[in-house]
Amino acid sequence: MKNMSVSKKRTINWGTVINYLLLTILVVICFYPFLNVVAYSFSSNRAVLSGTVTFFPIEMQLDAYKEIVHRGQIWTAMRVTVLVTLLGTAIGLILTIFAAYALSKDKLKGRKWISGMILFTMYFNGGIIPTFLVIKNLGMYDQLTSLYIPSAVNVFNFIVMRTFFREIPKSLEEAAYLDGATDVQILFKIVLPLSMPIIATIGLFYAVYYWNDYFNALIYIQSPEKYTLQLRLRSLLFAGELGAAGNEGLAQQVMAESLKMACIVVGTVPILAIYPWLQKYFVKGVMLGSVKG
Amino acid sequence: MKWAKQRLAGYRSRHSDSKNIWFYIWRDKWLYLMLAPVITYYVVFKYVPMYGLIIAFKDYNVFKGISGSKWIGILNFKQVFQTDLFWLSIKNTLILNLFTLAVNFPLTILVALMLNEVRYPLFRRVSQSFLYLPHFMSWVVVAGIATNLFAQTDGSVNQMIKHLGFNAIPFLNNSGWWVFTYVICNVWKEIGWGTIIYLAAITGIDESLYEAAYIDGAGKVQRILYITLPMIRSVIIVMLILSISKMMSIGLDAPLLLGNTKVINVSEVISTYIYRLGIVKAEYSLSTVIGLFQSAVNIFILILADRFAKMIGEEGIL
Repeated sequence: MKNMSVSKKRTINWGTVINYLLLTILVVICFYPFLNVVAYSFSSNRAVLSGTVTFFPIEMQLDAYKEIVHRGQIWTAMRVTVLVTLLGTAIGLILTIFAAYALSKDKLKGRKWISGMILFTMYFNGGIIPTFLVIKNLGMYDQLTSLYIPSAVNVFNFIVMRTFFREIPKSLEEAAYLDGATDVQILFKIVLPLSMPIIATIGLFYAVYYWNDYFNALIYIQSPEKYTLQLRLRSLLFAGELGAAGNEGLAQQVMAESLKMACIVVGTVPILAIYPWLQKYFVKGVMLGSVKG
Repeated sequence: MKWAKQRLAGYRSRHSDSKNIWFYIWRDKWLYLMLAPVITYYVVFKYVPMYGLIIAFKDYNVFKGISGSKWIGILNFKQVFQTDLFWLSIKNTLILNLFTLAVNFPLTILVALMLNEVRYPLFRRVSQSFLYLPHFMSWVVVAGIATNLFAQTDGSVNQMIKHLGFNAIPFLNNSGWWVFTYVICNVWKEIGWGTIIYLAAITGIDESLYEAAYIDGAGKVQRILYITLPMIRSVIIVMLILSISKMMSIGLDAPLLLGNTKVINVSEVISTYIYRLGIVKAEYSLSTVIGLFQSAVNIFILILADRFAKMIGEEGIL
């Protein structure tokens, strides 16, 4: 075996070289569009106008970011999104853990019926309009609760969590039971400490969902002071909110261009700063989800 | 010891010997208490809306409520089926989904195979991190980036094209090109994330198969063709069936955010049509008809796809 690996190293394998080259190109394709946005957001008016900005900022400046600090709207939207993300992730995690833990136990009567009731909603549901009417009738329209309550539990996340709980050795829980622990104590003292990787994964999935959610905010939120970051971003990027300053000359418009890019950066960086650290875990989470529920 | 065994038997037991239902409910009271909020959630936000689907057969009046509104049979269905825009939105949904699947599906498998050949852990981990990145961006951001790249006058890509001496391409304003841009954005966003499932399946393949093939003189390509691909066949088929069964569903975000009035003839899909008709114009009954029709077709395709999978000897998804 040793000889084989040595002889393999001596010759240049063109297939391998091409493979690495193609993957590197792919990485650039995936990253460049965002890098370009970052570069634009830091570049001077002149550079933005000339359209020569590519990988790095030209004539570096921070005006766009200073402008964001001055504009209250973006901060208000950021606060709303942070609040919704925190509450949504917390509620989602609690409900998902409760459901997955209880339904991971074979001994529970009615387990199949309740699981079936949850899984069925994956294939069939009331759809946009009937759900909208229910939420309106509950008085949640234009309330922040409409953003983090109606989609509190995700079926996929539930399946992943339940699969994970099922793989924890039964003997651990039974030993605790013999020592007089209740199911609640077993969950908090034995199961949860063993489940930190999956909690981090599902927490990330919920957090990303709430941070990026545009659909629910679009449908349920009316008042501008309750706009989420994504709604605010959209009105800044596309609805020409910045164009209102159009009469003030070209400099103002160019400013608008780098300001748009700065908004994209501010709205994306928090999530992008987190996910690489959890990569090891969420890869496993996706695998667990693929095991049929 | 005997005491422990008895106690455990009580903890584990599922089928009543002589015990009545209250024994189990009392024993597992904490578990049922944990389930209570979850069940409430599903009833209120998933099952009550299902009841609300009956407004498809009613002339829904906001003031009379769901039960107070008048039954009108299938009049709403007749009206919807006679609308050209309805059929257009279905056609567009299928076209966009089909093109995206046709490009995304084989490419995802290819990238997974390429990543699997990488032997340097650091290169692999870092490149995976970058490939997953677009998945974590919202559609608002992706649409913003797409505009930055593809805008006709000042988009980076068109500036480059003009620099090379060609005419600018209307990526976002011409129907044909818009479909192209839509597919590109979708593939860009999800291709890296899609590889995870295939990489996981490949990891599960028995190493000794590759060693045997290596000794028999099989090259890299041959090992991929004759070992890797056949071994992950069932994962590929399940993923294909899952994607096909979603042919009639399409997210609202991407078509709504990338689309504009110039390309509405290709960007109006079922979800955007329901949104405009139901939320913007408050035509609740008509838009519910569309949603119900969509769900029915979805279930039909799902059952069909599942049957097909079982027919060719796979496990199926239901």
